[in-house]
Amino acid sequence: MSRSPSIPFQPESLRTAERDKVVVGVADLAVVKDASKSIITYALGSCIGVTLYDPVAKVAGMLHFMLPESAVSAEKAAANPAMFGDSGVPLLFDKVIAAGARRERLIVCAAGGAEVLADDGHFRIGSRNRTILRKVFWKHSILLASEDTGGQHSRTMTIRLADGQISIRSQGKETILWPR
Amino acid sequence: MATLNETIAALDRLPALPATSLQLISMLAGGGRDADLREVERIVSRDEAVTASVLRRANSAAYGMRGRVAGIGDAVRRLGTRELCRIALETQTSGMLANAGRSYGLRRGALSQSALGGAIAADALARDHGVNREIAFVAALLRDIGKLAIDAVAGPDALERIAAAADNRPFLAYEREAFGADHAELGAILCERWSLPREIVQAVRGHHEPPADAAEPLTDVVHAADCVARWAGLGLGCDGLMYPFDAGARERLGVNRDDLEALVASVIAATVPEEAPGFLPVRRSA
Repeated sequence: MSRSPSIPFQPESLRTAERDKVVVGVADLAVVKDASKSIITYALGSCIGVTLYDPVAKVAGMLHFMLPESAVSAEKAAANPAMFGDSGVPLLFDKVIAAGARRERLIVCAAGGAEVLADDGHFRIGSRNRTILRKVFWKHSILLASEDTGGQHSRTMTIRLADGQISIRSQGKETILWPR
Repeated sequence: MATLNETIAALDRLPALPATSLQLISMLAGGGRDADLREVERIVSRDEAVTASVLRRANSAAYGMRGRVAGIGDAVRRLGTRELCRIALETQTSGMLANAGRSYGLRRGALSQSALGGAIAADALARDHGVNREIAFVAALLRDIGKLAIDAVAGPDALERIAAAADNRPFLAYEREAFGADHAELGAILCERWSLPREIVQAVRGHHEPPADAAEPLTDVVHAADCVARWAGLGLGCDGLMYPFDAGARERLGVNRDDLEALVASVIAATVPEEAPGFLPVRRSA
């Protein structure tokens, strides 16, 4: 867990208007190159949200993956690689780089990976999502700049293209995940 | 905070399940598989919103039908009884649930989507466990209807404050402390008031805490379906994942991780809403 101190929650009118937000659904990803926009994903539970941001090119990408390994359903993974961590994360990198980001400048953050209460080791979807993320990052020598993962609560994650600021809203509180 | 009496009193102010759904459920519970198609057509065509959904669905590419359907009679014949009942029930419960879950911090439509996701999972689990699929579908669709009652009694931010202070107990325990009853019990009371079949009432009541001594696995199925929907990211409010997967239900159903993960994947594929309005430069183009 690495979170900045809580900042007061801003009223709706002060926040970015909804039309400036690109919404990423569950098992979905978006890459945006427009400094006036934000990318948001709602209600990350056991799912994990991954953001990539190139502060020079002002390109950002966000992935909301649901399950760790595509092996559980090759057919679903082929139809939608964003559903799984092992297929979605490499795809996200490819897409932000194709949109003009440089790999060495990317700031990588993650949030989510919560676990069902009292999971007695049978399912552990949240923690296996966290593990696959680490494996993929390790394999590609990627360092995580900041993360807010685990617990039982759901999180909404937003990245602002203008400066790359990432905020997490959970249980009525908003915190800044990056910059730390 | 509210007393049990205040919470129960709030149930009186909630809208009733529409007549079309009530009639279809009682038909399904009576062995709806062989139900008269004309009878279904008669029930369905009395509700404009349901008729519109049925026509839209019959004309949608998902059914791969040649030519546009001419009218409700044509749609009824093409879709068949089972599908028709589902569309009708889905439309009406989704109308009731569209604005529900506000007190949990859910966005508009989130609880309808979660209801449908759970219903799709329950159908698949019911098929594998010899449970009446239609009843499982309906019970899962209605499982969180009690959240309407919590919305009616919970003050602004009440649940968020409860969740923020939660200490590893199931969320139902906090609901019972704050409102005298939890959303599962309140949902069951609503279903009882609507005179729904007893097995549906029991499944709604037990969907987070399935009883170990149930005569048939319907409640276990709805419980597992609820967990699947949650893993698919559906219906997650400030209560998040503060609901355990019951070990007894897991053993009774004999489900393992791979079964349920495959189900999570199909549920999300089936409930993703139509393309969100706007731009989205790069989406699923791979």
